[in-house]
Amino acid sequence: MTKKKVILEVNDVSRSYFEGGKEFKALEHIRFDLYAQDFVCIVGPSGCGKSTLLRIIVGLDRPTSGEVLFEGKPIEAKNPQVAMVFQSFAIFPWLTVEQNVELGLEARRVAPSMRAEKAKRYIEIVGLTGFENAFPRELSGGMKQRVGLARALATDTVLLCMDEPFSALDALTAQNLRDEILELWSDPALPPDAVLMVTHSIEEAVYLADRVIVLSGRPGRQVAELEIDLPRPRNRREPEFYGWVDDIYSLIV
Amino acid sequence: MRRRLWVVGGAAFGAALAASLLFPTTATEAGGLGLLSLYSLARMFAAYALALVFAIAYGTTAATNRKAATVMLPLLDVLQSIPILGFFPAVLLFFVSTFNGSPIGLEISVVVLVFTSMAWNMAFGVYEALSTIPHDLEDAATEFGLTGWLRFRRLMFPAAVPKLVYNSILSWTNGWFFLVASEVFAAYGTTYTRPGIGSLIAQAGSRADVGGIALGLAALVVIVLGVDALIWRPLSGWADGFRIDVPRGETVRTVRPYEWLRWIPRFPGMWRRAATRFKPVSHVYVGASLRLEHAYARHPSVPKTIRRVDLALFLVVFVIVVSAGLVGLAGLFLHLPADAGEIPAAALSSFARLVVAYGLAIAWTIPVAAYVGRSAKASRILTPVLEVFASVPATALLPVIVGFALAVTAHASFGLQVASVLVALFSMQWYLLFNLIGGVRSIPGDLNEAARSFGVRGWTYWRRVLLPAIVPSFLTGSITAWGAGWNALIVSEYFPFTRDVHVEGLGWLLDKATFITGDSQLLLFSIFMMIAVVLAMNKLVWRPLIRRATVRYRVEAA
Repeated sequence: MTKKKVILEVNDVSRSYFEGGKEFKALEHIRFDLYAQDFVCIVGPSGCGKSTLLRIIVGLDRPTSGEVLFEGKPIEAKNPQVAMVFQSFAIFPWLTVEQNVELGLEARRVAPSMRAEKAKRYIEIVGLTGFENAFPRELSGGMKQRVGLARALATDTVLLCMDEPFSALDALTAQNLRDEILELWSDPALPPDAVLMVTHSIEEAVYLADRVIVLSGRPGRQVAELEIDLPRPRNRREPEFYGWVDDIYSLIV
Repeated sequence: MRRRLWVVGGAAFGAALAASLLFPTTATEAGGLGLLSLYSLARMFAAYALALVFAIAYGTTAATNRKAATVMLPLLDVLQSIPILGFFPAVLLFFVSTFNGSPIGLEISVVVLVFTSMAWNMAFGVYEALSTIPHDLEDAATEFGLTGWLRFRRLMFPAAVPKLVYNSILSWTNGWFFLVASEVFAAYGTTYTRPGIGSLIAQAGSRADVGGIALGLAALVVIVLGVDALIWRPLSGWADGFRIDVPRGETVRTVRPYEWLRWIPRFPGMWRRAATRFKPVSHVYVGASLRLEHAYARHPSVPKTIRRVDLALFLVVFVIVVSAGLVGLAGLFLHLPADAGEIPAAALSSFARLVVAYGLAIAWTIPVAAYVGRSAKASRILTPVLEVFASVPATALLPVIVGFALAVTAHASFGLQVASVLVALFSMQWYLLFNLIGGVRSIPGDLNEAARSFGVRGWTYWRRVLLPAIVPSFLTGSITAWGAGWNALIVSEYFPFTRDVHVEGLGWLLDKATFITGDSQLLLFSIFMMIAVVLAMNKLVWRPLIRRATVRYRVEAA
């Protein structure tokens, strides 16, 4: 593991909120590294600050102390190599599927023809061919999240960050998307290199991740970092799988 | 649909024919109607264009700059409650003297007045829309590197569109009210007239020329409905595409103003043809905006500078206009004007009249809204009729209302009181009615069905379901209605063109101070009084009520 290339360093990150002169600690002393080809899940009870942590990691929020380095440099929100998939999809209702996917490229002033070409490719990868000119309101929840995924991948993403990406979807759609994300991640020819995902579902974390980082509730502290060494594809019915789920569950409670 | 249009058109044509046979002199006037309408429309569009630019600049700045917002929002609040017509003589005098009495000065002051009746509400709409963009959407925009012009084009402007269009329609209605009032204006002993539909009606009124009034009103209805059909209705359909999805099941409180304008045709073919005709133009625009965007990208400070310059220009004009009014009123607090003692009593009687008008409006709009909102058939038949009536600004009805009130009452002074209340009623009632209809329509079907399955009917249904459910839209409508009522005071208490008669009240004091005696101190005191009352009502009555209503009466389904 140590020989792998480090792409993301989370160095002793803490985040506090101040209200009326009082300090509310949301996160305390989070530290971990993320390597190329890594799939890491952050789990914890609701309100443990895991979404805040992800926002800090992609540069949308700043830590009160500590730092986040991506490939050795402080992270910035506009860095296209780190992209985010949102729980609420956060796709723009007034833009077509293609325009949504092109958004990150447009912001980087990629030429229109290049943009369209790339968007087409990623729309095909997530299986939305034929819906390029549809508006989000015409799509189902699962399709909307596919748009969110295509948009996140289109900028030659190295690290894909996902904030509970499947919790607004029905169980079947969620499972399909999970498997597709695993496929994308394991394909060396396609982005992303590494995935960092926040979830409250322990089972989901064990199903997907190489490593699981467990946070405790209020303030969020790092309780454990576990390496899930189950072979892939994983079977949820195996006793080893449940062994891991129970281990993590006991850590949180 | 098409057949009904023919019927309406035929009826209109017949009425026009009958009118021209009965009143041959006015029939010759009718030839000029088209041109007069164009003049009035041009003023409206000029004012709207200014208001749009201002609203976007002001709203975006207030929403993105927290420090500026602490000043800008209260300022907007005050501006919204200023009785605009009260400042008009000062504005008029300023522009007329600046342009050496040329008509350009008059035109500019009319446009400025109409602008002030449109802009605040729209700016507030932009601010509101931008400050309620979902956090995730803003995060996504930041995450994918949207900054500057691109962020405005892709995130902020689209997010503001639905509210901007909705408030534009309200502003446009408001604009008609003030346009009609401002095309003829008597101030400082001189009557200023600009050719237009409003001045046509007012002049016909002062001649007691019934045919002229009818002709003018008919033309006004045609223009207002025409603009609705050709511009606002397609625009609000377009704006629907920019709505941010609310979670499934949650009812949207906002009234779609043009939901009940279904009977007006949309002319899709005409728009499509126009679109192909203008395609080359839009290509040029796209090319130019692309080049502009590249320029912006290289100089990120440019859009910021443009926004600042735009705001600064507006502020300069605004300060000049206001201070031009105020400078003439120097030495204000040195000695009280003789009539100052009348102000409290005048305010009270104006307030009493508005209360009566408001009471009348409530009394008829709630039952009608309940009926129209719940019955598809009633809605189909009644809404077109109501729309036509609502399309006439109360200021245009002045001659009719005054004539009617004096004719039906025995005592002239009582008749004037009736006229004054009626003008206020006509200014207030439509806002209440259409908000209430929207409120009744937005009662979730589940709630109605649950009520029916428990056998809740009659008075119990009203008390337990209907009335509580429409509380929020009732309050929204009430605020708008009261704002319109205060603004109407200036035209509802003094009728210089109709009969040169008046009733006691704050509006009359304002009119007297500005148009007759030229007593600038009294004018200022009266305006301050009105602002104080309006602000006090907003802060002490409406805001607390709304805050409580949103907690208690918000209808949420699943």
